[in-house]
Amino acid sequence: MSVEVEVDESDLAEMVEQVWESYLDPEGVSPLIPTYDENQPSEVHSSVSITGSWTGHVVYASSRAAAKRAAAAFLAMELEEVSEEDMSDTLGELANIVGGNVKAMLPPGAQLSLPQVVLASESSARYPNAQRISGVYGMWEGEPVSISMWQVSTDNKEEGA
Amino acid sequence: MTLSQAEFTFVANLVRREASIVLAAGKEYLVEARLIPVARAVGAANVNDFIGDLQKRPNPAYQRKIIDALTTNETSFFRDREPFAALTDVVLPELIKSRASVRKLRFWSAASSSGQEAYSLAITLQETLPAGWSFEIVGTDISTAMVERAQKAEYSQVEVNRGLAATQLVQYFERAGAHWRIIPALRKNVSFKHMSLTAPFPPMQPFDVIFLRNVLIYFDVATKRQVLQNAAKILRPDGLLFLGAAETTIGIDDNYERVAAGRTSAYRTRTAAPAGAARRG
Amino acid sequence: MTPMRAMVIDDSRAMRMILKRIVTKLNFEAVEAGDGKEAMDLLADMTEVPELALIDWNMPNMNGLEFVTKVRADPRLREMTLVMVTTESEQSQIVRALAAGAHEYVIKPFTEGAMIEKLALLGLVPTGANS
Repeated sequence: MSVEVEVDESDLAEMVEQVWESYLDPEGVSPLIPTYDENQPSEVHSSVSITGSWTGHVVYASSRAAAKRAAAAFLAMELEEVSEEDMSDTLGELANIVGGNVKAMLPPGAQLSLPQVVLASESSARYPNAQRISGVYGMWEGEPVSISMWQVSTDNKEEGA
Repeated sequence: MTLSQAEFTFVANLVRREASIVLAAGKEYLVEARLIPVARAVGAANVNDFIGDLQKRPNPAYQRKIIDALTTNETSFFRDREPFAALTDVVLPELIKSRASVRKLRFWSAASSSGQEAYSLAITLQETLPAGWSFEIVGTDISTAMVERAQKAEYSQVEVNRGLAATQLVQYFERAGAHWRIIPALRKNVSFKHMSLTAPFPPMQPFDVIFLRNVLIYFDVATKRQVLQNAAKILRPDGLLFLGAAETTIGIDDNYERVAAGRTSAYRTRTAAPAGAARRG
Repeated sequence: MTPMRAMVIDDSRAMRMILKRIVTKLNFEAVEAGDGKEAMDLLADMTEVPELALIDWNMPNMNGLEFVTKVRADPRLREMTLVMVTTESEQSQIVRALAAGAHEYVIKPFTEGAMIEKLALLGLVPTGANS
């Protein structure tokens, strides 16, 4: 039996805004401007998987330029100083923070995986049997950034029937 | 930036008029980011159309949505801390002695905004009053949107991360989706009403303590004096008035005198009965 | 006077950098560990116990809750102030951490101001340090 997801798009948007307020835009001068464009391009992405009472993925995706800027803001560095490792660690932690907060809103018994980071384009092929159920899509200082939730369809429906 | 300066000014004026909150300069993009979902939710083609329509035809429901979107995370629980420490350390022990026969306290949180101050007072009283005592906290605000927000008693993760001890978060809040909500047991002692401080006050039962913080600074001297005089009429003779750290009655209303309260100060009316004097009522 | 010391225990290097930056600003000397086990090993070699530890929950080898439990069981580490810093935000989890002996709890994401306010609540920084 699949569990009704209790995290809607406005919840996700609120978490994303809190991440910006906390780490990426503490002064409140360069927020993520919503575009609602589910097909906006991405060059890098990171994700955490949730298993248990709900099964799926929470995915961060953005351009390289946005990822670099995120790392610079997160780690208080100059843009030129940001290394691949800095970018990778930052994207992993961003996915982890949003994923952890999503997990907290699910019924008890959900587990969070360690983050995975791919410094290459996001592709739906990466998530077999998963369907996008909500997402926050926007531009951050002119660069595309998105955070989305993907639900894995489980094949054990007969258990609940 | 898709918002024009005129559109931003219209929104800023609306929020200042209806919620008494000033949107800081430099936050234009944040305003835009928060209004885009509102515009979309009401079916407007874009945020410019949404504001354009609103300028032509005022729509209270839409205005309410704008205010809700733009006024979160503006204050915190136990803001400034000192006045709350003064209550716990000095003021409440005194009141527990002087009100021993009635065992009930009434506090007013004036300009209560989204309710954090009123609920911080409730937590303080809940933790300090002996068993068998009760209390009532009245929050008032000029904005009906803020009154409704305070009644709803739901706060974001960022809001509960600030000012509250972890033990208070688990004791006085419950998860409500992405938010945290004050538990009913605490909410039942706290009520919120619409009220303008600059109009004649409605009839109110007297209060033992009044928190009137960081609001006088927005008024001219004559208005300040009028608010302070009205407050004096509903402050019990030995009750205390707390103002913001940068505010004072001195030079505005000499019916008050400043008294020490822990590491901060508060105000008492000069007609105050000496401690231990018999009270009626 | 020797500066106070803070242990920053998190498997994310990025998060350790953020926390290190905040405590350094508050004049703590920061010591980093990537998990609870590494932190216990470091503590075993220290002659003076750090005043503060900021502890993630989900980490490999030894998680934050186990670390808190071990620290609380060791009389030598009694004086350490333990603050969980984690995305675990179910109420039941906060209760578990406090019951195990954590003194405070900060939910990620947190602003720098929120972290400083929490440390002020614990008496580790003067109130108003954030203003």
